[in-house]
Formats: sequence, structure tokens, C-alpha cells
Amino acid sequence: MLTHSIKEICFFKLRYILIGFILFFVAALVFIINGLANGLAAENISSLKNMNAEAFYIAKDANNRIEQSRFSISDVEKISKDDRVEPLGLQMLSLKKSGSNQKVDVTIMAVHPKGFLMPEVTEGKSIATSKEPQLVVNNSIKDDGVKIGDELYEENSETTFTVVGFTEKETYSHTPVAFISLKSWEDMLGSQVKPYYNALVLKNDNQVVKSDVKGSLGSGVWVSTDDVIKGMPSHQAEQTSLNMMLIFLIIIAVFVLGAFFYIMTIQKMNQFGVLKAIGAKNGYLIGTTMLQVFFISVVSISVAVGFTKLMQMLLPSSMPFIFNGVLILTYAGILMVVSMLGALLSTVNIIKVDPLQAIGRVE
Amino acid sequence: MSQIPLQLENIRKTFQDGDKEVDIIKSLSFEAKKGELVAVVGPSGSGKSTFLSIAGALLSPDGGRVIVNGADIAQFSEKERADVRLRAIGFIFQSANLVPFLKVKDQLKMVKELATKWGREAKEEAQQLLQSVGLEHRMNHYPHQLSGGERQRVAIARAFMNDPDIILADEPTASLDGKRSKEIVELLANEAKDKNKAAIIVTHDEAVLPFCDRIYMMDNGRLILKEEMI
Ligand SMILES: Nc1ncnc2c1ncn2[C@@H]1O[C@H](COP(=O)(O)OP(=O)(O)OP(=O)(O)O)[C@@H](O)[C@H]1O
Ligand SMILES: [Mg+2]
Repeated sequence: MLTHSIKEICFFKLRYILIGFILFFVAALVFIINGLANGLAAENISSLKNMNAEAFYIAKDANNRIEQSRFSISDVEKISKDDRVEPLGLQMLSLKKSGSNQKVDVTIMAVHPKGFLMPEVTEGKSIATSKEPQLVVNNSIKDDGVKIGDELYEENSETTFTVVGFTEKETYSHTPVAFISLKSWEDMLGSQVKPYYNALVLKNDNQVVKSDVKGSLGSGVWVSTDDVIKGMPSHQAEQTSLNMMLIFLIIIAVFVLGAFFYIMTIQKMNQFGVLKAIGAKNGYLIGTTMLQVFFISVVSISVAVGFTKLMQMLLPSSMPFIFNGVLILTYAGILMVVSMLGALLSTVNIIKVDPLQAIGRVE
Repeated sequence: MSQIPLQLENIRKTFQDGDKEVDIIKSLSFEAKKGELVAVVGPSGSGKSTFLSIAGALLSPDGGRVIVNGADIAQFSEKERADVRLRAIGFIFQSANLVPFLKVKDQLKMVKELATKWGREAKEEAQQLLQSVGLEHRMNHYPHQLSGGERQRVAIARAFMNDPDIILADEPTASLDGKRSKEIVELLANEAKDKNKAAIIVTHDEAVLPFCDRIYMMDNGRLILKEEMI
């Protein structure tokens, strides 16, 4: 059965290479879209994902969105000091590189420089508690030519921040996150509005702390980090549309492969008739067909995985693309099942072939 | 084992033709002896291929018994009949009934593997068979590289590969010219005698009849002995 299927593939190379190619392109497309979905998701929410946070205390009418929630600093200060809960300021801003007119978009996150919200600094040093406005920013900003020691100017508040360090995997809403101290945050806001924080962040689930905060600051609700992520409208929109594409691609694959295998078995009806007449059973004929599809699928899908890996290495780092091995293997498995199913459908034809057709017929 | 591997008793086969039923074969009885090549002739549509299909376990009769090596296979399931075909019967069809992607030697290997295992012994058998049909130098050719006559020789070798007691051929020379036809049927007759097989050949071609031991005529649903050569 095995040698039989391999010999057929070798003899009808072109036919099988064609199917292999179709499968390869579909698989590669599925993997690349998946990588893109992962990459976009990371750009959008990695900061929230990597945050040491269990839940956010957000204003009731803010639709689970941190940007739309505000608590005045004077209210927040009423909460009894507790290092399991910290305030967070969040604002999307355009900063101007001093000495040029170039602007870079960042998301400012104001945190306790020594608190649990401050990420690890991978390059340079961390922000100081007081002193001049300083910031630690995600390293993706290097693509805009920002280096340690550069100054970034915020026009509205006329604040000049000094870049003192870089961190990694901290992006929010497709912009790098810049961490500043609470003091810089208050100074930055102070000149225009009544200073505020956007949310209070809880490190580990703790009912006492939760009700404590709710007691002194009644106008909010505790929202889990997952729900905050789900509440980001751009994240939902991106992921839904990309996942739609994936699902449609897989459905298309079912039909294209199904049709291809169908035509192939139809072409071989005569041959199946003769083989059945000389005593081959359905099991044998179906077995060889399925084995062939299995080979083709394994080869094409593996090559597609390799191709996607290569893509990831060749793409510029600014391109949101993440090769998630577990997810890629899951999709590879799904495609494998899909192609085997497509082939299985066409085996109905094999069962229908009557060995009688081999006799009494001149071609 | 008995000298009569194939025996048909009182076979009846009816086909639906429009809204009436037509008896293509009526109370047909027949025996095939080992070492003998039997020819079946008759007008087109008389039921020769139908007869051969029933004898070859491809078609179940509507009545009567088909006894292959002592067992009545008339009521066998499709799967059981496939097994009978594989082990007890060798087929040779009109034309191009070889597997296109297998080399000549692999054509024989495949039928062997369907039945049992391919081993050194089987390999020698295949070599001998190909030699006896005069194709040892074509072992590594694909069917599309062979002439029509060579292809039928391979089909003959393949039919003998599982050492069946019965060989059935439906117009094996239909796509060959006169000279080739005679060669093929002569080869078939010699092989049947050499290897002691019961062989039946359906044919239109009068020229090949001299190689046959008995000639039957399909007439009105029955087989009538026309000529017996001693
Ligand atoms: N499956 C079927 N359904 C209906 N009628 C059939 C079927 N198979 C054969 N017949 C009819 O049975 C008759 C005998 O057919 P068969 O193929 O046995 O003839 P034949 O003697 O082999 O003819 P030929 O010499 O042309 O090959 C024909 O009239 C054919 O139409
Ligand atoms: Mg016929």
C-alpha cells in the first residue's frame, strides 16, 4: 500500500505537486495571518498583558476603558496606604524630539517608580522618584531614532522629558509605552486641569483591598485585566476581522482540496475498476488514496511552517508579526484534518466503482 | 484437487430493459477443465461478457450455482467475491488494464502483495512468468512504453501471478491486429496447458479459434458446444 502510493506520486509528479502547492499557499497564508493577528494583538495590548495586575478600578461609566476613567488625586489620596494597590495615569501623547520637528506617538503611563507597575528596565536606568521629568520607554521607539539621553518635548504642558532607559514588550494601542513617575505626571497635568489618575491597579486578587478601595472611592467598579483587554475596541475589531479571514481561508481550503481530490478520483475510476476486478478491496484503494493525501499534506504544511518561520526572520522588526509555535501547530493540525476530510469525501467515489465495469468494455 | 475448478449450474441472469425484464442468460450450465482453453463466441449482445462476469465472481446470478473450487459463490458478498477473484481467478481484459504508474515487474508485485507477501520466491516466480511471456527485457518499463501486444502479455503474466486455477479473458485481442492476436491467444493456450489452468476466452476473432480446445456458442441465453478439437 505504502510503496504503491509513493510510486503513484512519483509517476504523476505534476498533479501532486500542484495540489501540494495549493495546500502550501493556503497553509502559509493561514500561518502568516495568524502571525499578523498575534503581532497586532501584542502591539495593542502587550503592556496590559505583561502588567503585574489582577484588576483595575475604573469609573462606572467608562465602558471598561482606562482612558475614559478618571479619579481626582485628592480622592485617590483618601485611600489608606497599601502597596498592593497603585494608581495609574494613562494618556496617549505626541512627543516632539528636541532639535527636530519629528513627532513620536507614545502612551504615557504614570506609575510608582519603585512599585509593581514599573517594568524591568532592559537598557539604561530607571526613572527617579522626583527630580526632572524622566521616562523609560519601550525599545520599539528606537525605530524612530530615539536614543538614551534624548529629550522629548510635550507641547501642551511644555514639559521636556529625558529618555533614561528602555524596556521591552510594553506597547499599548500600537504605540510604545513611556513610563513616567507619578510626580512628573502631576506636574505635567497640573498646569492645565485638576490632576487625576485614570485607574487604580490591584496586584493580586484580594477582597479586603477591593472593598476598601470601593469604600473610600464609591464611583468605580473593579474590572479584571482580561475584561479591560476585551474592552479595547481596536483589539476586538482587529482580532475579529483577522480571525474571520482565517476561518474563511480554512473553509475555502476544504472546498478547493475537496474538489481537487474529487476530480482526481474521478479520473482514476477506470483504474479503480480494474484493480477491484482483480481483487483489490475498498480498504486498500481508500488506504492508498488517503496515504497519498497524508504525504502531500505533511510535506506542504511543514514547508509552509518553515516558510512562515523564514518570513518572520526576514520581516523588519517594525512589522507586527509574531510566530507563535503552539498556535501555528494548532492551525497546521486543523489544515491536516481539513485536507484528510476533503480526501475522505472523494473516497465515496471509490466505494461506488463497480468492478464489473472492467469487463465487456472496449475503450 | 478436482480437475474442474469452475462449474456453472442452471444459471439465470435477468436485466431490466425499459419496463420489461429480459433473460440474458437462461438455465446455462458449463464446466471448465484444467489444462484446457475454451472459446466462447456469439453475436454482439448475446451475453458473453455477462457469462464471463458471473463465472468470474464479478456479478451474482439471479438463479443457479457458481461453484469455484468446490464452493458455491453465487450468494457471496462483494468482499468475499473480491477474495475469490484475487486468489482463484486471473483476469485479462480488452485493453489497457495495467496500472499506469507501475513498472512491468511491479504490476506483478502488486497482485502478489494484495494476496500474500512479496518475497524472494515471488520475485523468481514473477521473473519466470515474464520470461514465459517473452518480456524479461521489459521488466523496468512503464505500460505507456510498451506496445499493445506487450501490454497484453503483461496482463497475461499478471493473471497467472497468484497461481489461480481459472483464467478468464474477455476479448483480449480486441485492440490487436491479426498476427498479434494469434500470438497472444497461442501464448494463452500454451500457458494454460503448461500450468494446468482452466482458461476461458471470449472472442470475436475466428482466426484465434484453432488454438482453443473447445468452442462454445452463446445462443439464446445458453452455451452450445460447437466444436471440440481433440
Ligand atoms: N447492467 C446491465 N443492465 C441492463 N442490461 C445489461 C446490463 N449489462 C448487460 N446488459 C445487456 O445484456 C446483453 C448482453 O450483454 P453482454 O455485454 O454480455 O454482451 P456480449 O455478448 O458481451 O456483447 P459484445 O460481443 O458486444 O461484447 C446486452 O443486450 C446488454 O444490453
Ligand atoms: Mg462483451
